[in-house]
Amino acid sequence: MSQNDIIESITGKTVQKKKSKIPARLDLLQSISGLFLALFIVFHLIFESSILLGKESMYSLTKMFEADFIIEGGSPLIISMLAIIISILFVFHAFLAMRKFPRSYREHLRLKTHAKMLKHTDTNLWILQITTGFMLFFLGAIHLYTMMSQPQNIGPYASSDRIYTDLMWAMYLLLLVSVVLHTGAGVYRLIIKWGIFDGKNPRRNRILSKNIIKAVVVFYLFIGLYSLATYMKIGYEHKDNYGERYHSTSEVNHAS
Amino acid sequence: MQVRYTDALIIGGGLAGLRSAIASSKKGLDTIVLSLVPVKRSHSAAAQGGMQASLGNTIMGEGDNEDIHFEDTVKGSDWGCDQDVARMFVNTAPKAIRELASWGVPWNRIRKGDRDVVINAEPTTITEKEEAHGLINARDFGGTKKWRTCYTADATGHTMLYAVTNEAMKNNVQIEDKKEAISLISKDGQCFGAIVRDLKNGDLIAYVAKGTLIATGGYGRIYKQSTNATICKGTGHAIALEAGASMGNMEAIQFHPTPIVPSGILLTEGCRGDGGILRDKDGYRFMPDYEPEKKDLASRDVVSRRMLEHIKKGKGVPSPYGDHLWLDISILGREHIEKNLRDVRDISMTFNGIDPADEGKKGWMPVLPMQHYSMGGIRTTPKGESIDLKGLFSCGESACWDLHGFNRLGGNSVSETVVAGMIVGNYFSDYCTQTDISINTKVIHDALEKQQNYLLALLQKEGTESIYDIKDEMRIIMQNKVGIFRNGKDLAQAVEELKVLLQKSRNISIKNKNTHLNPELEEAYKVPMMLKVALCVAKGARDRTESRGAHYREDYLKRDDENWLKRTLSSWLHEDDLEPTLRYEPLDIMKMEMPPAFRGYGRKGFIIENPLSQKRQEEVDAIIKAHTGDRYALQEKLMPYTLQACYKSKNQRLGDEDE
Amino acid sequence: MSREITITALKYNPSDADSQPTFETYTLEETPGMTLYIALTKIKATIDHDLSSDFVCRAGICGACGMVVNGKPSLACKTLTSSFPEGKIDLLPLPTFPLIKDLSVDTGSWMQKMNIRVNSWIVANEPTDISKIEKRISPDVADEVFELDRCIECGLCVASCSTSLMKEDFVGAVGLSRIARFSIDPYDSRTDEDFYELIGDDDGIFGCMSLLACEDHCPKELPLQTKIAYMRRKMVMV
Ligand SMILES: Cc1cc2nc3c(=O)[nH]c(=O)nc-3n(C[C@H](O)[C@H](O)[C@H](O)COP(=O)(O)OP(=O)(O)OC[C@H]3O[C@@H](n4cnc5c(N)ncnc54)[C@H](O)[C@@H]3O)c2cc1C
Ligand code: HEM
Ligand code: HEM
Ligand code: SF4
Ligand code: F3S
Ligand code: FES
Repeated sequence: MSQNDIIESITGKTVQKKKSKIPARLDLLQSISGLFLALFIVFHLIFESSILLGKESMYSLTKMFEADFIIEGGSPLIISMLAIIISILFVFHAFLAMRKFPRSYREHLRLKTHAKMLKHTDTNLWILQITTGFMLFFLGAIHLYTMMSQPQNIGPYASSDRIYTDLMWAMYLLLLVSVVLHTGAGVYRLIIKWGIFDGKNPRRNRILSKNIIKAVVVFYLFIGLYSLATYMKIGYEHKDNYGERYHSTSEVNHAS
Repeated sequence: MQVRYTDALIIGGGLAGLRSAIASSKKGLDTIVLSLVPVKRSHSAAAQGGMQASLGNTIMGEGDNEDIHFEDTVKGSDWGCDQDVARMFVNTAPKAIRELASWGVPWNRIRKGDRDVVINAEPTTITEKEEAHGLINARDFGGTKKWRTCYTADATGHTMLYAVTNEAMKNNVQIEDKKEAISLISKDGQCFGAIVRDLKNGDLIAYVAKGTLIATGGYGRIYKQSTNATICKGTGHAIALEAGASMGNMEAIQFHPTPIVPSGILLTEGCRGDGGILRDKDGYRFMPDYEPEKKDLASRDVVSRRMLEHIKKGKGVPSPYGDHLWLDISILGREHIEKNLRDVRDISMTFNGIDPADEGKKGWMPVLPMQHYSMGGIRTTPKGESIDLKGLFSCGESACWDLHGFNRLGGNSVSETVVAGMIVGNYFSDYCTQTDISINTKVIHDALEKQQNYLLALLQKEGTESIYDIKDEMRIIMQNKVGIFRNGKDLAQAVEELKVLLQKSRNISIKNKNTHLNPELEEAYKVPMMLKVALCVAKGARDRTESRGAHYREDYLKRDDENWLKRTLSSWLHEDDLEPTLRYEPLDIMKMEMPPAFRGYGRKGFIIENPLSQKRQEEVDAIIKAHTGDRYALQEKLMPYTLQACYKSKNQRLGDEDE
Repeated sequence: MSREITITALKYNPSDADSQPTFETYTLEETPGMTLYIALTKIKATIDHDLSSDFVCRAGICGACGMVVNGKPSLACKTLTSSFPEGKIDLLPLPTFPLIKDLSVDTGSWMQKMNIRVNSWIVANEPTDISKIEKRISPDVADEVFELDRCIECGLCVASCSTSLMKEDFVGAVGLSRIARFSIDPYDSRTDEDFYELIGDDDGIFGCMSLLACEDHCPKELPLQTKIAYMRRKMVMV
């Protein structure tokens, strides 16, 4: 332990008798980590919904992520790497966000009764955010672990089998709803927090931002649920061939 | 026994009290400020319109200076003021405003170029000069020759109070709110502090100080209808009165022309200053008929009376709350109202559901004159020290060092609070620095015990009267019989009735026997205090058989300089007395810079002249004629006055050298 | 025309060991234009002499009368009873601030502590000569400072903010807007670094979670949303 740390922890000031800059950094990093995660999810869910366009689209997209255009046949290792990076970000973000959670029973009670009486949208939105954040902590972890450990098991059939036959659909349903709501609320918060979209009339633009985000959230929930249903359908049709992998139509042609 | 010792004790945390506290704290004195409420909620926060200071920045104030401000103030006071004090005041006011700017009051600033304004109900364009850009702006107010009232939209008192409180905190003034002074500690004509009740828990504490300053504001709440805050009960006056200090001119009560009906919340004079006008039930603008020159902007006493006169002619607008008149600011345009009269609009919309920016009749606001300001108060010397009690000082609305005489000009009051805080605050700190007190702890103990026993006795009373009824009755008597139009018969009745009430207040019973945090007990000790103040007002008014400024007697219409150029002093000689004892203090015409004359507004020819006025005028004219040199030297010849050097220095204005 | 309204208020005196928190209900006749100030004054004079509440200006300008009205922190003197169609009004003291008695809370000490904590006053490098012409300020800047100076320290922003509720030492929107006010005042010579020393921590600007209940409950409609964001941007750059 450095003496500087000891001094700061006791006096609240650094050795230069200044306030630490750490809180500023943490606040910024919390938003940045949130922003990156949000960006990731925005694309992730779009890619995932490629299943809606057919097994082939999803397959080729998966292969593309495995960089089959460089490496022959694609390497699932890349997915693992990606999952590790995202996991780190995820843990980091969760760690920062956890500072804001109500910590004691008293805080919890005060927050609950207060929000109930106040009936204030943005306050409720925040409660939604910590609740979904808390859920994500577990659900996200499970999912990420799967992706890290079995990167090879991604594809139209593998994924569908997991979702249907391995009964992962319940987890995905919760994950989907919580991540979309959390990201929606999070991005709205980012806009407000940093005054990104103040414009000439910040009060009007706040309502505008909220409405746009609402629309986007609905859109994502829709495609997410639809994809999940599609995975279920494929999984159901494929249940007797559990474990079989999907082969691209082009590959099949190639082979014959 | 809880006792606290300090150098300077200031009772009252409005503008006056806090500015004084800064003065004493800057001199290194241990300073405590007490207030009934968090100081930023003091009534000073309610001042909307503005603060007078002769900066002469705006084109409409060009050429303004101390002399013109002085003249307006003396005329406004109907020659009742102390002209020395008026001089001290006008010279310090520009400094006060500049000091406040540096403490953070965001005064409205001048923008160069054309600006559309409404003057005399006519849209007009004025052009501000290039060199005035960015300097402090001013607006028009009643009874002034120039545009002299500096402002921050219509929250002037608020921004001033915040700046002064902040500065006080910066200077380590100890501010203690929810503390009420309920009596002074005094012995042998000297004041040693106060007995204070902690309104958070009901404890009694003795504050012992070298000097005590009372800055507790006005006493409007003795009236049924008043623009004053609920805390303006005059308890500060009462404790001084009970300790032996005299009150000056308590009958001089100002009624404001435009509080809104029925809540009594004030719509600032700035409404008319900016060009708003009064209308009657036919929508007719009547003020020019009565006051061709100043019209809607004659001084407050005059406008208020003219309004009631007009209502008496049957021109009032009938309503469940009695007849009223209209105030029309819609002619100023929505943009102006939403920017510069925002609080006015807010009040009107919230409390009456009227948007004053709506054009035509829809936007007119119902108004009626109501009690607004107390010119009288604890009588002090120009240094702010009580004329009877050593070590007791007072300034602000609670004091009568006598800047306002029988009528104060709009904008002169917040200005007075800060200026007095500077001047009196300095004299007060000098006193505290120079004084060493030795006081027997028994005196403190006795004072504390007396109050303790008094409160306990109140609780144990098994009388038949209700303190709430007594209070209501008092307020109605004051409203109906000691109001804008006064006459001997009503006033005599009022005095008798108030005496009966004071008697009754000693025969009450209190349901709740709790000693701490008991609102009923608070009423029980406050109402008798209010009654004493009300009696000073009523009796002073009864005996003053003339009309001067705001004091208007239907049975004595003239201003009587022959017999009444004097200040009423009231004092409470014995605890059990039921009325104050009056005496008078003459004003010396032969020392006046401006001898009594016609004010230029109000009724002509309604003066019983004092022969000395003529004589002094001739003297003054002769001095002016023989004078060579600048106006400062002339003033010095006409009426030399004393003021701390730092405040007596010249005020620089645009066009003066070495800018 | 006039109807009966019922007002329920929390009654509790924490300094009295025997006092038990209870809800007391009062029924009274509504009069035209009745505000909660008028209603409570009437209750205090005629029904319950022992009910405590704080009113000073009764005109919505001093900030004394904040209380929770049907769940919303509001200025009681500006609240018309007619704005509740059901005629039922529940009153609670403002949360976060120490309770004095019934509906009366100690906003004074809280605000004083906050003001001292954020050094809510002008700090200037050079003294002002008050007999000389004042410093020139652009009219727009003066307006902008005024806009923030309109705060009446009513505490509604604090009482409606969940962060303040959970974290006792959080300076609240009122404290943060105060810093924004001084940072744009040309008379103040403090730099962003100086302001960072005052609010650069998790009880200051970084504690705010942008819940905007402050913005939505401020009776003076201060631009809290934008000014807090403005200070946050400044403070992370320091
Ligand atoms: C609605 C309204 C608008 C006004 N507008 C203007 C205007 O535009 N321009 C202008 O010049 N003037 C105006 N005035 C007048 C001006 O606001 C007041 O005269 C002035 O602010 C009084 O200041 P003060 O410091 O003397 O007292 P206040 O500000 O009234 O302060 C009194 C202080 O004393 C404390 N106090 C009282 N009694 C006790 C006690 N017993 N123990 C302890 N503390 C006590 C109170 O808590 C308070 O802190 C207006 C007045 C009203 C009513
Ligand atoms: C992929 C997953 C996640 C995404 C996309 C995401 C996104 C975001 C975003 C954009 C913000 C706003 C940032 C800010 O206010 O500065 C945010 C805030 C937050 N996140 Fe997440 N987050 C994710 C996971 C989590 C997890 C797992 C948790 C829970 C531990 C969590 C808890 C929170 C909380 C509590 C906040 C609010 C912080 C505040 O208001 O200051 N998030 N998140
Ligand atoms: C790099 C890391 C990740 C990879 C490689 C990945 C991959 C996948 C894959 C392949 C699926 C299809 C279902 C399956 O195969 O099980 C899926 C679904 C899903 N993932 Fe991820 N994921 C990653 C990170 C995350 C994170 C961090 C979240 C949010 C916290 C998330 C949320 C979801 C959701 C909600 C679904 C269901 C989508 C739907 O129903 O349409 N993923 N993910
Ligand atoms: S910011 Fe608004 S809500 Fe907060 S104290 Fe100031 S006026 Fe009240
Ligand atoms: S409600 Fe509270 S969390 Fe921030 S935005 Fe307002 S201070
Ligand atoms: S009493 Fe002043 S704001 Fe309500």
